[in-house]
Amino acid sequence: MAILDIHQVSLSFGGLKALQNVNLKIEKGTTHALIGPNGAGKSTLLNVLTGMLKPDDGSVMFDGKPLLNVNSFDINQLGIAKVFQTPAVFPEMTVLQNVTIPVFAARDGSFNLNMFEGRAKQRPLIEFAEQQICELGLEKHMYSLAGSLSRGDKRRLEMAICLANKPRLLLLDEPTAGMARHETEKTIELLNSMQDGITKVIVEHDMNVVFSLAEKISVLAQGQIIAEGTPDEIKGHPKVIEAYLGEAQV
Amino acid sequence: MLNQDNFWQHNKAVLLFALVALTMPLWFPIMGGYSGLDTKIMIFCIFVVGFDILLGFTGYLSFGHAAFFGISAYVTGIMLKSFSDNIIPAILVAVLAATVVAVIIGLLTLKRTGIYFSILTLAFAEMFDSMAMSMLQKWTGGENGLTGMPTPMLFNLKMQGDTVFYFVTFMAIFLFYMAKRIERSPVGLMMKAIKCNQTRLEFTGINARKYKLLAFVISAVYAAIAGALMVVYEPFVGHEFLGWHQSGEVVIMSVIGGVGTLVGPMLGAGFMLYFENVLSVDLGEQWLLVLGAIFMAVVVFMPGGFMEGIARLKKRYFTTVDGE
Repeated sequence: MAILDIHQVSLSFGGLKALQNVNLKIEKGTTHALIGPNGAGKSTLLNVLTGMLKPDDGSVMFDGKPLLNVNSFDINQLGIAKVFQTPAVFPEMTVLQNVTIPVFAARDGSFNLNMFEGRAKQRPLIEFAEQQICELGLEKHMYSLAGSLSRGDKRRLEMAICLANKPRLLLLDEPTAGMARHETEKTIELLNSMQDGITKVIVEHDMNVVFSLAEKISVLAQGQIIAEGTPDEIKGHPKVIEAYLGEAQV
Repeated sequence: MLNQDNFWQHNKAVLLFALVALTMPLWFPIMGGYSGLDTKIMIFCIFVVGFDILLGFTGYLSFGHAAFFGISAYVTGIMLKSFSDNIIPAILVAVLAATVVAVIIGLLTLKRTGIYFSILTLAFAEMFDSMAMSMLQKWTGGENGLTGMPTPMLFNLKMQGDTVFYFVTFMAIFLFYMAKRIERSPVGLMMKAIKCNQTRLEFTGINARKYKLLAFVISAVYAAIAGALMVVYEPFVGHEFLGWHQSGEVVIMSVIGGVGTLVGPMLGAGFMLYFENVLSVDLGEQWLLVLGAIFMAVVVFMPGGFMEGIARLKKRYFTTVDGE
């Protein structure tokens, strides 16, 4: 069953058609990679899914609910989390505070007037956050400021933030961009070890990452989906080779 | 984290503040502070603690908080003059009026961030200032200010001298305690997260705009309480209460003391008012120049204000193993 159904989505910036009639179904529980050359519209598509951009046309349904014209925070509350290209954390806060925020968001919704709630009542939530941090192996940084972490640890923390309010769909925008190889490997490990049931959509340039994670791949070029299939099918697909390497010489 | 759960840890700052504030009549005159200045310092402590909930937590720099201070002062004055000399209904109506204005201004200005937000708040405050000077002159007294209030009463108690000081000081302690409660609450965490990374916050399922508005309105309520107490302290309202100069002074107090620490801005308020009213006499006409130099020195060498200075001293002389 498709958890995410993108139907005939089009979006242009002035004369540039960033997305043209994109149709994409993401199956529940799978890891789906979006690849394509620079400027193909991958990040634009992710931004449409998170409410950052409004498409000119088309519809997006998440688990039977429309996603267009919905605020970013409401989209998150529906169960979609996003990992940014540059790890987005709260740099001047401790790692624990960073992860406590989504835990509160899961309990309280997008806004709650509990401005006199004491620490005693917060305790079980803080403990849950601590547990999440341990699960992602950041326990020794529990009280460090997020801004002082290495890039790899920031990425890990961002994952912890995203996973803490138990999303059903995780969007990852080039999660290994700018990472050293051992950090990339760690990230792959982390993504593979993630609890089952979370659907993942990953935009990535690094084919090693794509082929070691994805069960299904969609290829975007010039705002259109030109191919779709399993990693093996995509590897030898003539249209894909053409999109990446230019037209084949005859 | 765990050891923060006990009462002493939570309320250390509040108890210390209460101790310093309530004993002020004993030690302040030794420093040359005249009676009455201590009351004014307490009033501004209330103003800046509220202001820190906006500037210190969310990072939004308002240059228009004098609007809430002034509106509340005018309403208090008018209430005392024409309704009853009891301060309770006067303060309640004044704070309510300022809160309504704050919700409207907040909704309009919080659509923008950074310098645009600051300019917008300044523009709104100036609007109220010019209104007080023109179309509302009949009620505000225009250039001459609002005068002719009866001696304010707390039911049967005449609000004069020490009575005002202790009334204001208890309010300040209570409101500081409330601000500390807010800081520890989930709401406080969300407000601080706005300053850190608003995009991440929105993508973590939090409606940042509502939290910003809440911070804005809370800080306006504090400013309004301070404004009302100003009239109880001294039954006069001048249009400078609404002016940009007033807003700017609060910003300087906050920066000099240490933005985001709640305690720091209060130190800043105490320092500024003491400087303006006591040290300025010794320094003669050059006092503003000296104040400017101090402000610059703090910003350049101690961007965290007095609180950073205190933290550095603590680190040098009282370093403990756990660092807290």
